[in-house]
This record gives sequence, C-alpha cells and structure tokens, in this order.
Amino acid sequence: MAERSLPKYTRGRRNTHRSSSSSTFADSSLHFQSSRKFQSNNPTNHTTRSSEPNSNPNDNNITNWDTADDQANHPTLVGTCPFMCPVEERVQRERLRDLAVFERLHGNPRKSSPTLAVKKFCRTISAKHDQASNVRPLSVLEDTLNYLSNLWDSTEHPFEVVHDFIFDRTRSIRQDLSMQNIVGGQVIQLYERMVKFHVISHHKLRRCCGNSNISSMHHLNMEQLTKAVTSLYNLYEANRTSHSIYENEAEFRSFYVLLHLGSDSQPMGESISLWFRRVPSLVMKSKEMCFARRVLRYFRLGNYKHFICTTEAEASYLQYCIIEPYICEVQALAVCCVNYGGYKLNPYPLEDLSRLLMMKESDVESFCSGCGLQIYTDEIGKKFLPTKQTNFSHPKKVFQNYSLLQSERLERAAAECSKLL
Amino acid sequence: MQSEKYSQYVDIMVPLFRALQNYRLGNLVDSYQAFEKSANAFIQEFRNWDSAWALDALHVVAYEIRVLAERADRELGAIGKNPEKLKGAGSFLMKVFGVLAGKGPKRVGALYVTCQLFKIYFKLGTVHLCRSVIRSIETARIFDFEEFPIRDKVTYMYYTGRLEVFNENFPAADHKLSYALTHCNSRSEANIRMILKYLIPVKLSIGMIPKNSLLEKYNLTEYSNIVLALKRGDLRLLRHALREHEDRFLRSGVYLVLEKLELQVYQRLVKKIYIIQKQKDPNKAHQIKLEVIVKALKWLEMDMDVDEVECIMSILIYKNLVKGYFAHKSKVAVLSKQDPFPKLNGKPVGS
Repeated sequence: MAERSLPKYTRGRRNTHRSSSSSTFADSSLHFQSSRKFQSNNPTNHTTRSSEPNSNPNDNNITNWDTADDQANHPTLVGTCPFMCPVEERVQRERLRDLAVFERLHGNPRKSSPTLAVKKFCRTISAKHDQASNVRPLSVLEDTLNYLSNLWDSTEHPFEVVHDFIFDRTRSIRQDLSMQNIVGGQVIQLYERMVKFHVISHHKLRRCCGNSNISSMHHLNMEQLTKAVTSLYNLYEANRTSHSIYENEAEFRSFYVLLHLGSDSQPMGESISLWFRRVPSLVMKSKEMCFARRVLRYFRLGNYKHFICTTEAEASYLQYCIIEPYICEVQALAVCCVNYGGYKLNPYPLEDLSRLLMMKESDVESFCSGCGLQIYTDEIGKKFLPTKQTNFSHPKKVFQNYSLLQSERLERAAAECSKLL
Repeated sequence: MQSEKYSQYVDIMVPLFRALQNYRLGNLVDSYQAFEKSANAFIQEFRNWDSAWALDALHVVAYEIRVLAERADRELGAIGKNPEKLKGAGSFLMKVFGVLAGKGPKRVGALYVTCQLFKIYFKLGTVHLCRSVIRSIETARIFDFEEFPIRDKVTYMYYTGRLEVFNENFPAADHKLSYALTHCNSRSEANIRMILKYLIPVKLSIGMIPKNSLLEKYNLTEYSNIVLALKRGDLRLLRHALREHEDRFLRSGVYLVLEKLELQVYQRLVKKIYIIQKQKDPNKAHQIKLEVIVKALKWLEMDMDVDEVECIMSILIYKNLVKGYFAHKSKVAVLSKQDPFPKLNGKPVGS
C-alpha cells in the first residue's frame, strides 16, 4: 500500500491554497510523479486519505489520472510553523484537555508548552490546516523526530503508551512532509527512521500483553509500516541520480521480501515476483537482499533447518523483527514434519528438537503440547516426542513468553539497535 | 444545413490531419496530443451509433494510440520530461472499453481493447489495473468468451496466464497459457516463443519436462540447464543456472517459480541413489543411509550434514515427493516399497 498522502494532499488543496512560491519544488514533484507509475497501489483514488485502512486496489477509477502538468503547475505549500506544535492547536488542546501524558507541563492536563506539545495527526484536512503557519518546515520536522526519538528510550511509561504517542506524531510528520510535497533526498533518512520505529514496534507489540487493544495496535502499526516503507521506496527511486544505491537502501528493501514471507500475504498489494521485476540489480545482489532472498527460499521450500539457522546467524535486528512472527510458523512446520515422517519406533529426543528449533528444551515441550502432541519421559528422565501422532494442529496461542530463538548474537544486536531510532 | 450535419466530423478529421502532419515532421508528442483529440471525437460519435459497423476503425485507433503514445514517451524521456502519454492512452482505452463492454453488437470488440490495455499496463508496471477489466470480461454472462475473435482470445489468455504466474497460481496459469499455445497461429514462432517462455516454468513446476528440441527450436536455451538439473538431480546445476540467468528470470517474473524446483531436484537425486542401490542389491534398495545422500551432495560440492539431509528428507516425505519414513536414531530413510516417488501428475508440489 503506498503512502497515499504524498501526492494527494497537493491535489486536494488545489483550490484552497494560494501562496505560490514553489518553482523549486515543481521539479522534484515532477520526478516523483514519474516514479509513481511504478507504484503498486491505485494512483487515482483522490478521496481516500492516508488514514484509510487498506482500501481495495480493485476500486480503480482508471479514467481519472492526473497529468504531470497538474502536478507541476499548482503551487506548493511551504510551512512556517517554528514549533513542534502550532500555537493554535496547542491552545485548543489545552482547553479541551486533549494532551498526551508526554505533553503535560508538570503533569497538568490543561497545560503544555512549546517544548512538550507535538502536532497531532489530523484525519481531515480543512482549509485551516493548509495555512503555512500550521505546517512545519523540514528543519522543524527533523527536530520533532529527534525529540520523539528521545522519548522512545524513556522507560517511565509502558511501551504501548510510548508507542501510541510516537505512532501518531510521526504520522503527523509524514503528513506535513506530504502537504509540502517534500520528496527530495534529504527526507530519506527521516523516513528510514520512521520505518525503523514501526519495525521495532512490530516486534515489541507482540510481546506486550495485558492490554486488549494490542492486537489492533499491532494491526494499525503494520498498516503504517507498509505505507511508510512504500513512500521510502518511492523516495529512493525518485532521487536516484546514478546507478548507485543509498547507504541503507538494501536493508530497507529487504523488508519488503521479509514482509511477504507468508504464503498468501500480500500486505503491500503486489506479489514478490512482480516486485522483483523492478528492483535495481545492485539492490538484488546486495548482502542484505541476498539474505532475505535465501530466507524466502527456505521458507517456501519448507527448509526449516536452514531457515532457523540462517535467521539466527545473519539477520540484522530489524530484519529479525519482521521475520519473528514467521519463526513460530516454521518451528511448527518442523514439528509437523518430524512427527509425520519420523519412524514410529524412534521417538524424537526433545534435546535434538531443541537444537533444531533453537528453543529451550522446556519451551519445546510446551510448544509441542501447543501443537496438540504428547511428550513422553523415559526412565532416566529424558524426554521424547513420539512420532506419527495424529492430532497435530497448528498452535493457536502466540508464544510470547519466551524468545523464539535462543540467540546471544540477536540479543546483542537488539540491545545495540533499539537505542538508535 | 449541410455543414451542420457533418460538423462532428470536423472534430475528428482536423486533429487527425494535424497528427499526421506532426508525425511527418517527427514531433511525436504533438502528434500524440492531436491524435488523442481526434480519437476522443471519434469515440464520441461511435458511442451514438447503434451498430458496430465502425469497429475495425476503432481497433485501428486503439492500436495506433498505444503505439504513438509509446513513441511520444520516448521523445519526452529523451528531453528529460515526464513520459506520461502511455498512461494517458491507457485512460483513453479504458473509456473505449466502457463503450464496448455493455450489451449489444459492439461487445465483440471489447477483447481487442482489453489486450491493448494489458500491453500498456504490463509496460507501465501497473498490472494490478488489469483486474477490473478481467472481472468485467470474465463475469459477463451475456457474452460467451468463445465468441470473441480467436486472435484476441490468444492474446488475452497469454496476458492473464502471465498474471497467474506472478501469483504462482499454477493450475490456472497452465490452463490459460496452454489455451494460448494451442490456439496460437502455428506459423507465428515469435508468439509461440513468448507463450512458452512462461508455460515452460509452469509445466516444470507441475512435474512436466519439455524436450530439448523444443527449447532449441524456440531459442529458450536459458531453460536447458534447469531441465538438465531436474533430470539429473543435480542441485548444483540448478543453482548455477539460476545464477547465470538471474537478471533475465527476475525481469520476466519466473525466478521464484524456478527456484522452487529445488525439491523436485532433491527427489530426483534420492531416486537415482535408489536406482543405483537397486542394481546392487534389490532387497536393500529401499533403505537409504542419510550418509549416502550427504556423500552424493558432497560430490556436487554442496556441503550438508546429516541433520540437514534429515530435514530435506522429512520435507520430501511431508510434501509427498517421497513415500516412506526416516529413522532419526539410525540415520536411515526407509522408502515405501510401493511407488516410493509419487509423480506430480500436473499438480504443484505439496498440493
């Protein structure tokens, strides 16, 4: 799903906005337009906002294409708001007591300050939101993201609360970027950091329990992840000057492959085969992409052993965050294959299974019972999985209580990486 | 009086002459713009006619606007401008499709326009736009698909078959591409080659192997080593062939399909070991030591240990490419005495 907002707001504003100051942007928007023909989603659905959940790409109104002239000729907004939150919005939210916990001055729910309040994501854009004084220029947006990054490390509040706040405020950053049609190379890093936020959240939210909203938060996060990452890919394309690739491009591109591991999942509306057709060869041959492609091959072949080993040995922390949900699936496949194809008179030692699945032996035991399989213990206390059991079922419960892969390397990588948002 | 009656033809003819003039001068963008104007005026009239008498003319317009748009885009690209004429031609043809797709005698011309649209969407990389057109063609009860002209049916099946390949829906891809192949004019070798380029990977993935002579006749030798790897059970050769033609396979969208053949290559390798053992001692042939498979893979310079081979065997058994079981303790795979290597029989692996 593409970041619909990017080209769209400028269209929606066409008649309301009057400041014309943007011959500098016209050129970049033109480039952007040219890259859009490769976008996977519907380029025409003007009325859908970026906030809409995955809208059906079938509902195309194909006759409605904008021409490049449209894009280039109408003025582009340049924001002038010097604060993380426009004064007007801050005052209004103070009055309405609509302040997030991070925005309250000394904990006062009616009082905030320019250094605490951050502009909220806005679902409906009216003429008021179009005013330059309500939109933040790039430098302020950068500062805002830096500020949010610092909050990310705070341990004062539960993760869901921190996530919820950053989720909304980074979305607002992207909204301001797209309203001003800022699509140059300078925002690539900004987008990479926001994608990174969503990737790590994708991982961490799975581990939060005790809050009934988690699964919907997880879903919404995935939605914004795919949108932000699609925008990022468009930025890479639009700003490519020669046959080089951006520093982190290979890793961020590899996310697309990893997001599509699931057999039927097409979270971004396009099969990998189609996507591969237009990924630059340099990216395809990069170390990060080769890793992702190997993991994809192992997953598709069902080669559980290599899938688990390779992930453990080579995944970056961010790649691991995306792969993790599939690890459980592959581990279940492994148990299923061992149970199905193993010799009936040779029960499979849990010790070996634990090495194969890279799980603690005690976890293997609960995992197997989660799959509906019996375990038996011999006279000296060794545990086995008897094979050819008939009631295997895929584990329904998500196993959140333990790390799926026992891996010191990945734990170290996580510790190093989660700070760097 | 007279001039009023024919005034609408002015809107068709004048821009058309302008398009021709610009074309002659080599101004392709200007030519395209004038042609689109003329085409719009033409479709306006066409819409009002009850009969389909002008269908041939409409098809010429549909074809020319696409080809002209492609050339205009090349001109735009060369001067650093945004090439967006083909996209424009796409929206025009969508309009034409709307005029034809309803009930009535004009519908027979809809498939031709659909195929022109496919060509545009494939070229632009916006193949998801094909879906709504396909739905409109395939769900219409009022018109039998078989009534469309054969030429259009072949093109349609070729493109929709390719879409099925991208989605790895092999039975459907097989059906559509085979239809295209059997109905394609046997003298148009270039078209047969285009169909085979996609049909061969599909057939391979459902266990059907083409003759070498076919690959040579249609110059599809990029598949030769893959076929050989399947016949020999040579994993190294499969990997090598994929690497050698990686860019080509990735661009055409068959890479992942071919990569998945690995399981069939493993199956073949185990089968070869089984056959060799059978020649030595028929009574013990169905017991294969995992160590033997490790050794065979080592000859192919593929380093795998016994645990990895056990994993491969368990997958082959689970996906019904091998019948039997593996003994973890003694590191042996025991094959069923009956039909130890089931054939795919036109079905994809694991289905």
